[in-house]
Amino acid sequence: MSIQTDNLDAPASRLRTESQSSVWLRRFTALAPLWTLLALVIFFSIASPTFARPINFNNILAQISTLAIFGTGMTFVLLTGEIDLSIAAVAGLAGMIAAYLYANLDYQEPIPTIAALGASTLLGLVGGFASTRFRIPTFMATLALSLIAGGLNTYVSKGRVISDLPEIAAFLGSGRIGGQSGFRVIIIVAALSLLAGHLVLRYTRFGRYVYMTGASKSAARLVGVNTDRILLITLTISGFAAGLAGIVSMGRLGSAQPIAIPSYLIDTIGAVVLGGTALTGGRGGIPQTVMGLLIYGTLRNGLDNIPSIDIYLKDFITGVVLLAALVVNLVLSGRRARDKTS
Amino acid sequence: MNAPPVIELKNISKRFLNLQALDGVNFDLREGETHALVGENGAGKSTLMRILAGLYPEYEGEYRLRGQQIHLTSPRDALNRGIGMIHQELSVMPELSVAENLFLGRQITRWGAIDWKKMNAVAQTELAKLGFDDIDVLKPLGNYSLGTQQVVEVLRVMLSGAQVLIMDEPTSALSPAEVERLIQLIDTLRQTNRSIIYISHFLEEVMRVADRITVLRDGRKVDTLDKSATNINHLISLILGHEVEAALPLETSQADGHTLLDIQHLTADVFNDISLKVNKGEIVGLYGAIGAGHFDLARAVFGMYRFDSGTISVDGKIFPRNFSASYAINHGLAYATESRRKSLFMDEAIYRNVTMPHLRRISLLFSRTQQELEVAEPVVERVNVQPGDPMNAVGKLSGGNQQKVVIARWLAFPPKVFVMSEPTRGMDVGAKSEVMHILRDFRNQGYGVLVASSEPETVLAVCDRVMVMSRGKVVAEMVNKNLNKDVLMRLL
Repeated sequence: MSIQTDNLDAPASRLRTESQSSVWLRRFTALAPLWTLLALVIFFSIASPTFARPINFNNILAQISTLAIFGTGMTFVLLTGEIDLSIAAVAGLAGMIAAYLYANLDYQEPIPTIAALGASTLLGLVGGFASTRFRIPTFMATLALSLIAGGLNTYVSKGRVISDLPEIAAFLGSGRIGGQSGFRVIIIVAALSLLAGHLVLRYTRFGRYVYMTGASKSAARLVGVNTDRILLITLTISGFAAGLAGIVSMGRLGSAQPIAIPSYLIDTIGAVVLGGTALTGGRGGIPQTVMGLLIYGTLRNGLDNIPSIDIYLKDFITGVVLLAALVVNLVLSGRRARDKTS
Repeated sequence: MNAPPVIELKNISKRFLNLQALDGVNFDLREGETHALVGENGAGKSTLMRILAGLYPEYEGEYRLRGQQIHLTSPRDALNRGIGMIHQELSVMPELSVAENLFLGRQITRWGAIDWKKMNAVAQTELAKLGFDDIDVLKPLGNYSLGTQQVVEVLRVMLSGAQVLIMDEPTSALSPAEVERLIQLIDTLRQTNRSIIYISHFLEEVMRVADRITVLRDGRKVDTLDKSATNINHLISLILGHEVEAALPLETSQADGHTLLDIQHLTADVFNDISLKVNKGEIVGLYGAIGAGHFDLARAVFGMYRFDSGTISVDGKIFPRNFSASYAINHGLAYATESRRKSLFMDEAIYRNVTMPHLRRISLLFSRTQQELEVAEPVVERVNVQPGDPMNAVGKLSGGNQQKVVIARWLAFPPKVFVMSEPTRGMDVGAKSEVMHILRDFRNQGYGVLVASSEPETVLAVCDRVMVMSRGKVVAEMVNKNLNKDVLMRLL
């Protein structure tokens, strides 16, 4: 038995036996999110005088960093074909726990931050347990969890904002490395979280199980994968990611809020799906999530940089462009199923 | 018995791509008659039935209803003309009440709102008329047994105005008592002058309920006979196209040798007190009609179907209650289900489909393409997957080659016992014989194989010993020596 090593680097080329032109067409359409991003960047560079500056690109990265941490966890969950609706509330609670322990109970770092991360991870585990053990759809289980986390936040904070923040939170959210104009820590945190997610999904056995569970639950079970355990772990990862995002977000905003920021949920799912990770599971990954985040961040930031746009229209326009981008991605990538019963 | 025909089919032909499913079939159904359709799998029964029920609007030939030529466009159209079908897979809503199921889609209304009182009353009286006054129409249908659900389905189709009822294998999943009930119901229907087309594998049952019997073979009609003019042996010879031997070779023997798979008194909802052994170097067949419970039994052996009592042991090791599939794999079992679509990752490369069950053995934590290919390539080559490039997506392979991937998957780290449901269904002759060859090869290396199948050809071709299952029970066990189809069919 011999292994052909010559082509291993390019499995895609071995997968196809089509004509050269259709190969190129396929490659072109497979990169639909990239073309969308380029189109947006070119458009905003022309339409706005302030958009295409290096400092603004840095801004975009900082703006999507929180979403990137949420998105890392969400990518795991969506890949299994499930969803986590609790992330925004869990993040809010995590921030509040850290701030409360630090400001009101005088705990020293790193206890507040560890406690906050522990609590959010535990909440993810609870959601996972509820949906696997009792067969509650993740949609419902995490929706309930969202209320639980949000309710705990309100209870702990008694509706008050806490702005005396733990040092770690402040550092992760708004710190810079190398002085006042140095590189933002939040971008590094986001990049590390995406990288860790990517390594796990791409190279570990667990990562393979996540994909296969989403691709076909029955096939995964038939080869001995405990799909319930996989789902439980992905929801736990998502809980941890939400907690980390909550701490970072608190540091960035400079305070712990008594209510969750609802747009985090929509923005995260929007960005991840926009990148090409399928809601039905099995397809996508961290590279796709990165693309989705960049498109989303560019769109949001670009609209801010066009002074003639009514700021009250911003959400509306974002929604329209999001929908259009989803349609374009779907059509271009030829993902519409041929079999109409599936 | 000289009533005019309700339905008359003349010279019906139907072609699927390169398969002539029906070839010039004539058929007629008289008023108040129960007319059975029998034949092997693939003889054309279902195709004929689907044309009768309006499911296949495209066919050649003439379809007459009470002397008038018609062409049905849909099942809805058929029902409007009084032809209703009772499917093998019941289309009932278990959460809704019996009454709601009876009036599904055509509830009795009063000023736009559902008239519950009237609906429930009508349901109760109609059921009583048929002799089923013990059914509470207010209870959810799911509370009742499959047999009762079948009765409700029959009545539902009748209430929507059907004079002709087509029943497709109505008893295959029923207990003997429920079968009796259904046969009584059919007698009652006959008295109301309704006509029934009855499709079944169970010839004994056919001989009890039918007035006339039409035999199909290879898409052609062999004959239509009055019940009084035939018997079971005669029917079997017509179905198979050759004379049958009179005596059953009921030679029961337990192949001696080391037992690899030992199932004792396994019981669940669809099978009952099953005991069987698979020895080293032996292929055991588990033959039964669809719904006999043999596929679920195969699943149970792999930890994929919950059973209530009994034990499973592999090579002397008794499995715990509620063991998982991965436990079964680790203790020397492999399983391939009857549905390839369900067992493969269609968008993924061949090698990934092969290595999925073994990732733990291939590398500790990280999966590496190189190592996976080293495991996958030899087995993919051994079962001769065409095209055999392990990077190819499985979804692009033909059905036969997909099945070979399913088998190759388990040969990479050979199990002690390979449990397979329908190993060769839907494959062409060449691929079939290749798969059978692989299984024999596997057996000759001293492993055990359990094949569950509803295709007598498969069981006869590849098994050393055959167990026949009917309605959840093992009814016979035979060495596959001088065994033939008619013996198997008679045992169903």
